Amino acid sequence: MIIDTTQERLLVVSDLHVGNPYSSATRTLGEFFEFAERGRYNLCINGDGFEILQARFASLAAESATVLRGIRRLIERGATVLYVVGNHDIALENFLTAWSGIHITPFLNVTSGNQRIRIEHGHLYDPSFVKSPRLYEWLTRAAGPLLHFYPDVYALWDHYETLRHRLRPQLSADRQRSVYHEAALMLLRRGFDAVVFGHTHHSEDIALTPEGRYLNCGTWVRGGSFVEIDGGQMTLRRWGV
Amino acid sequence: MFKKLITSSEAHGTELARTFADAELICREGESSAEMFVIRRGSVRVFKASARGELELAVLTKGDFFGEMSVLEGLPRDASAQAIGEAEVLVMTAGALLVRLRRDPTFAFELLRRLSGRVRSLNARLVLALGNGGDAHRAAFSGDALLYQSEVKPGGSTV
Repeated sequence: MIIDTTQERLLVVSDLHVGNPYSSATRTLGEFFEFAERGRYNLCINGDGFEILQARFASLAAESATVLRGIRRLIERGATVLYVVGNHDIALENFLTAWSGIHITPFLNVTSGNQRIRIEHGHLYDPSFVKSPRLYEWLTRAAGPLLHFYPDVYALWDHYETLRHRLRPQLSADRQRSVYHEAALMLLRRGFDAVVFGHTHHSEDIALTPEGRYLNCGTWVRGGSFVEIDGGQMTLRRWGV
Repeated sequence: MFKKLITSSEAHGTELARTFADAELICREGESSAEMFVIRRGSVRVFKASARGELELAVLTKGDFFGEMSVLEGLPRDASAQAIGEAEVLVMTAGALLVRLRRDPTFAFELLRRLSGRVRSLNARLVLALGNGGDAHRAAFSGDALLYQSEVKPGGSTV
């Protein structure tokens, strides 16, 4: 299992939720994989790549095939593909050693240039997940059939989260700091220069300390964003912008 | 994009950031202290006294940790650690370690992984020593830091 890795050119995406009827990832990832191939980047999917928890197996299988073909092509062209397990694909922990050329791992300590970067999905710091992981999983599973018949339920949740996120800048700096920022600070204190999470679906790039950054890859459910790592330089980018 | 600065407090639980000057000892072999250290900046040399002089066990860098044996077992230090250039380390007492394990669960995984790597390294050296006699014994147990580091890196040490 790879935990420590050196990567000079790496693209990090998260929360593709392939198989979720509301996810646009399958339609948009093809070009992104081509972009990765042209730029000779390695790829890291930082959790919740596949919607194993909520999707019906038939739709998951149908949607996954396209994405897996793209990943296979990247690997054949010499790229390393790393997959950090999230909460919607936690079943992939059973494949931690190897899964058809994709390196599956619980988290990554990446050295790039002179930077030491932690890449982790971030669900381990979600208060709901921590307090009651079984209830969290049960509720997430229960929402699956609802999503299948009424995909717009996801849109409502997404709009609510976006609105909530937009209101946060109105709060004081201390109240703005989320549990994920606190978790990132814990990691930064032990020798990381940057922390990259997913999970929240909100792309962010924040200097938590004068020398330590927190980035969030956001999601590919609607649109797409990613973190580009190039020789230790990190940039949060929107796909297609 | 979206850049802004949030100030942070350095004080967090009983963890404390400390800076050591070049060649300054961070901990000494045989002393009784119960803290472990995580390197935030710079490098640290880990070494042990032997009948044939000082044996360098490892050179550790940012993110590596050492001193956990004393915290976990409550025994005197098994080796010494010294800063190479100016080095900043996070000092963790046993209580701070427990707090961190609760708040930063991947740290436990990394700790176990390092300890596992160390057992593997020692097993390999034991087999080498027992299997080949005199010369190999010296190679395995005379402070061959490269052998030690190749098995253990990246990460931990044996302080």
